[in-house]
Amino acid sequence: MKIKVKSWTSVAWWKWIANDENCGICRMAFENCCPDCSFAGDDCPLVWGHCSHVFHMHCICKWLNSQLNQQLCPMCRQTWRFNDR
Amino acid sequence: MSLRPQKIEFDVVWGCLRQTVDKVLKLNRVERDDWNSSFTDVYTICVAFPEPLADRLYAETKLFLENHVKVQLEEFNCYRTENNDGENGQMMLHKYYSAWKNYSQGLEYLNYLYQYLNQQHIKKQKVSEAEILYGNGTTPLAISQEQMEIGELGLDIWRLFMIQNLGDILVKQILQGIERDRLENNLTSKDIETIHGVINSFVSVQDYKKKGSLHLYETLFEEKLLEASGSYFMSQASKLLQSCSVSQYMQEVIRVLDEENVRAHKFVHMNSVKKLKKECEDRMISDHKAFLYSECKEMVSNDKRDDLRNLYILLKPLQDGLKELIQILLEQIKNEGAESIMNLKGENVHIQFVENMLQVHQKYENLISETFKNDPLFLSALDKACASVINSKLSDGKTTCRSAELVAKYCDNLLKKSKSTESEIESKLSKSITIFKYIEDKDVYQKFYSRMLAKRLIHDQSINMELEEVMINKLKQACGYEFTNKLHRMYTDIGISVDLNNKFNQHLKNLNDELNINLSIKVLQAGAWPLGPQTNISFAVPQEFEQPIRKFESFYNSSFSGRKLTWLHHLCAGELKVSLAKKSYLITMQTYQMAMLLLFENCDSMSCKEVREMLQLSHDNFQKHLQSLIDSKILNLDTEKIEDASIISVNLEFSNKRTKFKITASLQKESPQQEVEQTITQVDEDRKLYLQAAIVRIMKSRKVLKHNALIQEILSQSKVCFAPSIPMIKKCIESLIDKQYIERTANSSDEYSYVA
Repeated sequence: MKIKVKSWTSVAWWKWIANDENCGICRMAFENCCPDCSFAGDDCPLVWGHCSHVFHMHCICKWLNSQLNQQLCPMCRQTWRFNDR
Repeated sequence: MSLRPQKIEFDVVWGCLRQTVDKVLKLNRVERDDWNSSFTDVYTICVAFPEPLADRLYAETKLFLENHVKVQLEEFNCYRTENNDGENGQMMLHKYYSAWKNYSQGLEYLNYLYQYLNQQHIKKQKVSEAEILYGNGTTPLAISQEQMEIGELGLDIWRLFMIQNLGDILVKQILQGIERDRLENNLTSKDIETIHGVINSFVSVQDYKKKGSLHLYETLFEEKLLEASGSYFMSQASKLLQSCSVSQYMQEVIRVLDEENVRAHKFVHMNSVKKLKKECEDRMISDHKAFLYSECKEMVSNDKRDDLRNLYILLKPLQDGLKELIQILLEQIKNEGAESIMNLKGENVHIQFVENMLQVHQKYENLISETFKNDPLFLSALDKACASVINSKLSDGKTTCRSAELVAKYCDNLLKKSKSTESEIESKLSKSITIFKYIEDKDVYQKFYSRMLAKRLIHDQSINMELEEVMINKLKQACGYEFTNKLHRMYTDIGISVDLNNKFNQHLKNLNDELNINLSIKVLQAGAWPLGPQTNISFAVPQEFEQPIRKFESFYNSSFSGRKLTWLHHLCAGELKVSLAKKSYLITMQTYQMAMLLLFENCDSMSCKEVREMLQLSHDNFQKHLQSLIDSKILNLDTEKIEDASIISVNLEFSNKRTKFKITASLQKESPQQEVEQTITQVDEDRKLYLQAAIVRIMKSRKVLKHNALIQEILSQSKVCFAPSIPMIKKCIESLIDKQYIERTANSSDEYSYVA
């Protein structure tokens, strides 16, 4: 029997690679958006810190803006630095 | 002429003045000089020296007016004793009317002549308007002794002598006149003017009064008018009842009402128009409500629109008059609706359900707009009836209501394979929203809809992506963005995937790379799709697919950081070109089946165990897909049942007339019924979470709340999505108490407080 694959339609889903299910700031699941947004996914992305903690980008920005002196990760109190991977 | 006060002989001056007064009242010609000197006379008397004689002038004038009216009255003496029906009565009315017309006209001039007296002498004693209105302790005695302006005095004298004496006779004549108008309708315009004028004289004669100016009119005339009209209406009604059917009766009554309205405006004072109408309604409609309602059911069930329209016109003005009609209509809609969706059978129950229900809805919506002027009371009855039919449990004894599922299926059907044109589909979708709005369990609909949408999108079954978006937007309009959030995300994922495929192909081109298969990939957001947690289905991907998958993953990771792709092979499908027995076929099938066939490319037979281990498929999946290949006769099995030791071999004598076909997994693991039940349980879980979240939200803002208030609040919040049962709410409250989100307050058994 000779077989040739003509075409293939494949389906995949994606999830954020994160060490937790929920955002440590707003407590919403990462697969949902932050409380200020209405659409999850590209409209409300995640960001990773050097300390390995992950948050909704909107949440961590809000947190960092509210800090006067030092920019610390709200989870581990290390200096927050964005990890661009 | 001097304006200075001077000594005068009252009798002389009054003698002159009196002549003018007489002429004025009789409307005779008065010479200009006489008129002017009379003004002066009034003035000189009022300012006479040494003592102003205004009071005396007032008394003399009063006496004169009284005498004048008494003389007039005598002319009517003949009417007071005789029997004056018909012609004679009319004559009297005419005579009175002309006497009144003359007198009131003359009085107006006279009032002008006496202006100085009115302004200087009488106004000063007058009680101010405010005092009359607010009754500042002035006794009735003080008012009766008080002097009036000459015009008012004249009117009062007319009332005292003429109306007091002739009033009853006049009223009798008027009522006879009106009755003649009602029965024979042969009054001349002069008759009408006279009657109107006479009635009006009852009002005008007290018009000057600030308070109770209609009192005379009401007691003397209006009461009797209403009484007489009432008995006329009553006799009319009973006469009609003897000869008419309900429908004729209603037509007649409407005619009478219209006529009476015209008549009232023709004759009586504005104030009476409403009262007269009310009297007519009472006697002809309210009193015979039972008669009107006797055929109401039949009118509704036989769709007799003219009769219903008349009934509506008649009952609308009565208080609560429409209540019964509305109730009857509501029952009718309910019965008809329930009947139309009862005992639906066959493949397309969903289509019948929606379209039959729409038909009923449309019929009555049309009825209400045509015959009941879109009365909101009727519209809400329609809504109530439809909601109750749609949400009622079907009569076949099942506990769940299938409406939500059926409507969702109806939409699925339209968007999948209907042959209709785009605009037809769109209008049908819009109509399905009409039914959708009545569904209480909107969340059930949402679950079904999203599952069906997922299937349509993943398997490319949608006939038109624009229509998909249109429908999602319609749902959004009906239920808000929260409701369609996930549906919308699913829709956008497909659009994004198309872009992604293009970019991927471009990317490969740039690398001068090429895939050996035609690949198209859909990338979905995990949270938005109702695909369940089927992430760990074991499967060894055939090597043909490994390379494309690897390439795509590396491309994807370079485009998006922090994302992990999981392949959902059970949702994938492809097309194989199979050459077998000297013929080649194009076969569409699922990935697992492809993988299985690919194993046999280079060998003709293998044991089941080997195949399963190579593919690392679960037992169920393996059996299901192998069976479908055996059923399609591409593969042969040497035993009846699939067992580990069974040998699978390629059917070398395979032949099929069609060179292009599709293999579907034969044994559906989930039967539709199971799927439905699964959906329902999922909905139940979601509802519990929704309710718990709602309770916590409410309690967080209110801190302390009574049980009933909390239940009310929850019901109103969840109305958009579904109607929760009270036991379910109670369970949720219990579980939140267990989880220590809220607690019962110490002093009351039915009160909760929020635990921070």
